[in-house]
Amino acid sequence: MLENIFTANFLISLLASTVRLATPIMTPALGQIYTQRAGILNLGVEGTMIMGAVTGFAAASFTGSLWLGLLGGMLTGMFWSLIMAWLAITMRANQVIAGLGMNILGAGLAAYIYRVIFGVRSLPPRITPFQGLSLPGLSDIPVLGPILFQHNALVYLSFLLVPLTWFILERTTLGLKIKAVGEHPRAADAKGVNVLGIRYAAVLIGGLYAGAAGAFMTIAYLNSFTEAVISGRGYIAVAVVIFARFLPARAMWGALLFGFASALQMRLQALGVDIANQLLLMLPYIMTIIALIIASNKAEFPGAYTIPYSRMER
Amino acid sequence: MRISLGKTRGKIVGAVVMVAAALLIGAVLMLLSGNNPLEAYRALVFGAFSSRQRVSELFVKLVPVMIMGLGVSVAYRAQLWNIGAGGQFLLGAIAATAVGLYVKLPPALLAPLTILAAAAAGGGWALLAGLLKVKFHANEVITTLMLNYIANYFLKFLVYGPMMDPAGQLPQSALLPEGIRLRQIFPGLRANYGLIIMVVALILTALLWRSAVGCRINLIGQGERVATYGGVNVRRVVLLTMFISGGAAGVAGWIETFGLQYRLMENMAGSYGDIATVVALLGALNPYGIAAASVFFAILLVGGAGMQRMTNVPYSIVDVIQGLIIIFVIAGVVGREGRPGKRPGKQSSKLSSKQPSKLSSKEPGRRERDA
Repeated sequence: MLENIFTANFLISLLASTVRLATPIMTPALGQIYTQRAGILNLGVEGTMIMGAVTGFAAASFTGSLWLGLLGGMLTGMFWSLIMAWLAITMRANQVIAGLGMNILGAGLAAYIYRVIFGVRSLPPRITPFQGLSLPGLSDIPVLGPILFQHNALVYLSFLLVPLTWFILERTTLGLKIKAVGEHPRAADAKGVNVLGIRYAAVLIGGLYAGAAGAFMTIAYLNSFTEAVISGRGYIAVAVVIFARFLPARAMWGALLFGFASALQMRLQALGVDIANQLLLMLPYIMTIIALIIASNKAEFPGAYTIPYSRMER
Repeated sequence: MRISLGKTRGKIVGAVVMVAAALLIGAVLMLLSGNNPLEAYRALVFGAFSSRQRVSELFVKLVPVMIMGLGVSVAYRAQLWNIGAGGQFLLGAIAATAVGLYVKLPPALLAPLTILAAAAAGGGWALLAGLLKVKFHANEVITTLMLNYIANYFLKFLVYGPMMDPAGQLPQSALLPEGIRLRQIFPGLRANYGLIIMVVALILTALLWRSAVGCRINLIGQGERVATYGGVNVRRVVLLTMFISGGAAGVAGWIETFGLQYRLMENMAGSYGDIATVVALLGALNPYGIAAASVFFAILLVGGAGMQRMTNVPYSIVDVIQGLIIIFVIAGVVGREGRPGKRPGKQSSKLSSKQPSKLSSKEPGRRERDA
């Protein structure tokens, strides 16, 4: 058994899966960094992702274009988070319940939309998902090539979001404003920053990322839609953000850790290891709890985290 | 404290309006998908009431929904967002079945022991999230949800592995001995005496809010600082609250196994965990409100299945209506009492947003300064 695990092939496929499985956790986590830095806890990521997954899949199968599928997922993600933003920012509702409601509604609506569009079939509808790109030169490097450079385009785009997110947050005025409304909205308001507007923007960017990640699941990871397609990844992404202390690079490493846990479970199962696969399937969820245990005490939450802002209250 | 009738009536009217709005949007979705909503809703009502079996099914669904809704409402009053009632239900079912199958005792002793095991296991599963919150400030929404997934896989592991029925190849446990099962009220109909436990749970919850413990739980909901000034041991009450909340779900799991299925099966909790949250919020965390909301949802669940059989409207419309109700409830609560302009501190509802209780001894007063 052990000799099967410590082979080059096993390790290479394990690490390649790690990168691929980290993507749908890293992307929404990066988006949530904007949202949470602006002081909004959007627990509705799970629902946003499943809405992105179903519309991405529907758009791709009707237009035949995977890129239009991705666009559909992104726009749906933005629309879905717009409702969340309205509840949390304008209506100043409790963000935890608002997020929960958006998740329950999203799960129901996604299943409904799927049933209405595709009906009940004996064979679920499938599409041809994004294929791995072979990058001349890079893909042929032994070991590193298969691990890092044989993925599909969306994986690379997602990893490009890491420096982009860092750049926007740390080097642009938009980033500065996002952090200001999250830390001290009253001071930001006094400085002439449109607190509500910036918070809306931060939630919408988060929705865009989450919608893209949802679409990734149906058009670049799987080739079909099921109701269990997201299965907690949205919540895990929120945990990763806290684990990463709201920093994009750390979020990437956190997501890779979760990607590794999922990949390990799949690869061990494929090898037929003598551990019941139900126990292996628990791995990412147990890790999420451990990550929260390690990180929550140390995390420096933004000053106005989950507190709605109004000029009329002090 | 006397609640004026007018205010209660206003709340009831509000809840009815929200349900009506959710059903209306549901109707629009049905129209968009090319179905006749009137026909669908007629099928729903017909599906819920048209036979003795169906009315009995209403009670089968009502019992777990109400008990779990009451359970999560205890936590929600303390602003502890335990969304893991489904997992706590499963742990209760697992522990009770294990005791019922493997402990050799006379039925008169064994039956009460299985209930205790269910309450302890369900409560313990929620307590775990409570401990993580108190000790490490781990967000209980995420931990209780993760514990749901873990409980689900644990149940799968058991029914495919160590607890699989030796007499068959199906993913289910052996049947519980007849002597310790919960009896059916009318032979042949699935409704069982879990109904009495549900009524007891309702009375206990109503009494809880008149007791000192209930008062402490409510105080924690006002914020950690308020509770500390009120002389409440916040950590201990948080743990107790989570335990009560999960224990109720565990007992619901006991009823499901001992009164209905008589064995463990995969995915037993279904969507009960989510529905518990919806009925707790729709009932405004008030025990009688939750009871009324649970009746409505039992009709929706049983009727929804009938609707799917008789029309082309998928059952998932029921989930959509659930989600819509939550959205309307929170938007409506804030619309009534938390709009900009109202001074904070007068908020009377737990559902409106307020400063989070951090349950932390570190940096007290930090939020005060910043806010």
